[in-house]
Amino acid sequence: MFELAMVAAILMMIVIFAIAEPQFLSLRNVSNVLTQSSYLVLLACAQAVVILVRGFDLSLGGTVSLVSLTAALGMTMSGALPIPLGIALGVLTGLIVGLFNGFCVAWLKINPFIVTLATMNILLAISSTITGGFPVTNLPEGFSDMLSTAAPLGVPVPVIITAVVVFLLHLMLRRTRFGRSMFLVGSNPEAAYVAGISSRRILLWSYALCSVLIALGAILMTARTGSGEPNLGGALTLQTIAAAVIGGMSLRGGEGSMAAPVLGGFFVTILSNGMNLTRVDGYLQEVTLGVLIVAVLVLDRLRHRRTS
Amino acid sequence: MLELNGITKRFPGVLALDDVQFQLKPGEIHVLFGENGAGKSTLVNVMVGNHRPEKGSYKIDGKNMLGLSPAVARKNGVSAVFQEFSLAPSLTVLDNIWLGRELTKFGRIDRKRMRALAQAKLAEMRTNLPLDAITSTLSRAQKQQTEIVKALLQHARYIIFDEPTASLADVEVQNVLRIIKELRDQGVGVVYISHRMREIRELAERVTVLRNGKYVGTIEQDEIEEDRLVSMMTGRSMIELFPNVRHMPGKEVLSISNLATESGGVRDVSLEVRAGEIVGLAGLVGCGKGRVGRACFGLESVVEGNIFLKGVPVSPRSPSQMLKSGVCYFPSDRGAEGLCLNRPISENITMSDLDAPKTGKWGLIDLNRERERAQRAAERLKLSTDNMGTRVEMLSGGNKQKILLARALLRNFDLFIFDEPTVGVDIGAKAEIYQLMRDLTEAGAAILVISSDLEEVVHISHRIYSIHEGQVVADLREGAKTEERVLASFFGKQPDTETQEIAQ
Repeated sequence: MFELAMVAAILMMIVIFAIAEPQFLSLRNVSNVLTQSSYLVLLACAQAVVILVRGFDLSLGGTVSLVSLTAALGMTMSGALPIPLGIALGVLTGLIVGLFNGFCVAWLKINPFIVTLATMNILLAISSTITGGFPVTNLPEGFSDMLSTAAPLGVPVPVIITAVVVFLLHLMLRRTRFGRSMFLVGSNPEAAYVAGISSRRILLWSYALCSVLIALGAILMTARTGSGEPNLGGALTLQTIAAAVIGGMSLRGGEGSMAAPVLGGFFVTILSNGMNLTRVDGYLQEVTLGVLIVAVLVLDRLRHRRTS
Repeated sequence: MLELNGITKRFPGVLALDDVQFQLKPGEIHVLFGENGAGKSTLVNVMVGNHRPEKGSYKIDGKNMLGLSPAVARKNGVSAVFQEFSLAPSLTVLDNIWLGRELTKFGRIDRKRMRALAQAKLAEMRTNLPLDAITSTLSRAQKQQTEIVKALLQHARYIIFDEPTASLADVEVQNVLRIIKELRDQGVGVVYISHRMREIRELAERVTVLRNGKYVGTIEQDEIEEDRLVSMMTGRSMIELFPNVRHMPGKEVLSISNLATESGGVRDVSLEVRAGEIVGLAGLVGCGKGRVGRACFGLESVVEGNIFLKGVPVSPRSPSQMLKSGVCYFPSDRGAEGLCLNRPISENITMSDLDAPKTGKWGLIDLNRERERAQRAAERLKLSTDNMGTRVEMLSGGNKQKILLARALLRNFDLFIFDEPTVGVDIGAKAEIYQLMRDLTEAGAAILVISSDLEEVVHISHRIYSIHEGQVVADLREGAKTEERVLASFFGKQPDTETQEIAQ
């Protein structure tokens, strides 16, 4: 129901932008939007994973920046297999961040909002000091080719990777015990615990999964820019929350599916691409996104008021 | 006079009220009776202005009130005391009583006058409340009284009580009933919702019965008979509420000796439950009986004493450990600890059994099989819907409880612990829950029923332990377990010589 409305909204937006700016439907722009949205969709999936368990990850932007740097540093340090080493280092960074967030939320019972906000600060501080604020360049040649420009059968690699991740996540949520437990813990952690599910462990690994997915996204983005960037995260935190929520993730927890970050990711990317093409002022774009999030949350509230 | 006629209220997918009428005169106690989901709560919500009906007329003292808001209803003297209290847990009792209507003097809050007025009202009600206590520390009965004082100080002339005695013990119930009668004598009109026949007989001047959102009829005091009410409510003739459960005690399944919990709620409890018997744990609300069950399931830390399962000592640390050891516990608060309300029925039934090695290919959950398993369990409990995809929050209290209890049917357990199994559950569902207990017992399981409902605990159990301030004060066997004896033991009195020692 909601998914259909989302698809309709996206189509309507496409029509409006196409009328306002014919360039919008050019082959180049369409392929560009598709690739661009794959990054946001992937990161929004990460965000959706923790929203599902009643959480948030405000440290997403910081994680992206730090992973970009550690992966790039791993690749530029001399080694036998620079690319795998860099990727491994990036994923490991994500895992550590996720376990830290998850531990604070699940064991220390600190509000996820506060935990990840603090983590964000820590990560940004580390990112801007380890390289003195400079990007890490001279990445191995194959890296960008492999993870950004390559397009087997005409489909860009980031799109393929995102599609595979979305499929696996969907399968995990619907058909595995871990995925099911995430829904139950998100819906009611006490009830899940009484039913024999270790709510704490599920929370911990949900945050870990979230940050590993972020690391994956950060590595793909690093491949696109061709360098490790301390500011790569930027406004991504808000954008991913916007995408997940606009796509239909409920902040009540225990509700939603991977359709939400996918549809939401497309929606936000198309919106900002369209606004760029129609030369909407940058600040106004930010305002639009903010207003949109609030509007969607109001809708979410109204939907739940009706059912309860 | 409160007059509602032809009230119709529709929710997405349900016709909650269909042409319902209701009248309340000043100085009358009018009982609203019906199964869970019959529309009582919806009707009450219309009266207090929370719901707006699609059709019908609503008059208070002759004034037309359709489309009124809760604030206007209150101004016209209509107040409600709901099961879910509307108290701010971190404020004091006094603050809660005056919440949103604080008295002021020169723009500052006039605590002195607020306290004086509250105390005067309490004296009038002949009860006592710690006005400076933080509300979350109160017992359920005290919270109830806080709500009543709050309503009275708003000069309510019509008060609606939605199951005020659910989960209260008998002494506290008597107190609530006395207060309600006194309100009536002062000319207040009272709408009283309860499933307890004894209270209805004691209070009601009229009873209006609803069934499936429809008005069935209103009967006068002298026509009130249990059989008649039940058949009006269910559309069937009288049902046998408490089944006869054969007592065939077998091997000892649970044995507790000198248990004490970290919270201090349980100080010295020893008891045993054998296979093939139902053992009751009775006591006042807050006496610690619920904590005994929680301690056995790893939800409460034990500091002293031993717990044995089939003769083997266990130290319960988590529900998952205890489920694996063959213990199944049903919490008293199904909303808080029992169910995932925004998840479908099937997931709620199978959630305690996710570890079962019965999943499909590649270790993935077989959704069809899962639905079938849930459906079979739901059918045995006569759940009123067969759509396993429905979110649990859409269902009535009785159906929610059945979904929780359906977990018992998914696999074999040695011991079942039911904590307040029938709170807020209608008679039809109650009967089915008792039948489930019988089936489980006769199949060889051991059952511990923790309940504040005296009638329930006396009729369903074979033996009863009575708890007072965290200690077992009486151990009553078949023949010795009368309601009077159990009640007497609630106050720490040894009932009489027929008390038997546990060791015996």
